[in-house]
Amino acid sequence: MKLLLSDTPLTIHLKKENEIYIDLSQLKISNCIGCFGCWTKTPGKCVIRDDAVKVYPMIANSEKIIYVSHVKYGSYDTIMKTMLERAIPIQQAFIRIHNNETHHVQREVKNKDAVIIAYGELSQEEKDIFTRLISRNANNMSFSSYRILFVTKEELTSTVEQEVALW
Amino acid sequence: MVKTIIINGSPRAPKSNSKQYAEIFRKYYTGETISFMINNRNHSEICDHIEGCSDIVFVFPLYADGIPSTLLNFLKTLETYQINQKPRVHILINCGFIEPEQNNVALDMMRLFCRQNRYEFSSTLAIGAGEAFLTTPLSFLVKGKIKKFAKLVASKKTEHLSVTLPLSKKSFVKASTKYWIAYGERFGCSKEQMASMKIE
Repeated sequence: MKLLLSDTPLTIHLKKENEIYIDLSQLKISNCIGCFGCWTKTPGKCVIRDDAVKVYPMIANSEKIIYVSHVKYGSYDTIMKTMLERAIPIQQAFIRIHNNETHHVQREVKNKDAVIIAYGELSQEEKDIFTRLISRNANNMSFSSYRILFVTKEELTSTVEQEVALW
Repeated sequence: MVKTIIINGSPRAPKSNSKQYAEIFRKYYTGETISFMINNRNHSEICDHIEGCSDIVFVFPLYADGIPSTLLNFLKTLETYQINQKPRVHILINCGFIEPEQNNVALDMMRLFCRQNRYEFSSTLAIGAGEAFLTTPLSFLVKGKIKKFAKLVASKKTEHLSVTLPLSKKSFVKASTKYWIAYGERFGCSKEQMASMKIE
């Protein structure tokens, strides 16, 4: 599966059956409440049954993924960050050593090539923090490779089209 | 006015480890404090109370390698508020991993928020093994470090502290596995069920 996950509406038409585009801004996704239910009560399933439960299995199943997110304080802005926090059912509570650091064990999550398209008017400091964030995500989100593209909002559609064309 | 506002940014604020860490901070802090737990409805109330405080202590866990969206949302509200005398900002962050340095990116996000919004970024305490630390016989280590952090806040000194369990990574993995098995048992969930590879 190839997944395009965006925090803003995009005018993009995916042609193949295994290519999926999700506009998170149109979904109802509430905050993770940190209950650990997805680890210790109903493993692999979030107890909040909103739209996030359709999205995280797709994240797990994708071999190629494009995240499109506005950046705030060097972080994904709230729409994308809320979804990524709600994706913790794809991990177990248990800890392993991975790349010489402790990280959660992954469930059935495919290794993926990730492209992160980060948009906004960003300072170099903000870009540097975001780059370090993605490097940390790579350990926890099964990225076999990743690229980060910093663009303005105006450049978003053309950049997404170019990256989808590479699929 | 010398008053410190403690803001808990944990998504599970009422039951959070952050709440316990904040309470330990209050125990050791000599000045006046007021405390809030961020939720979707109290951003304005908290912002109103920030005016008139000399210091803010944000207490929160690392979430998906960064600051929790609960706190991120609040910061976005705070930056729209006109605060005339901006308090100094201190951070008490914890993560479930043994390496306290896994908190560094989130600390730098807070530092950036402060720079962009002209708050003085002051002392920090990064806790590793934060999920289980207080349940271990070595909890005095984290309590001692929070005491030191509280003194820094009170004395207006800036220092960056960290603390974790003095275990090898392998021993930590073993101990954390035991911790999570016991956690699951409370809900009738076995180790095998918790280790399921299935999603949804």
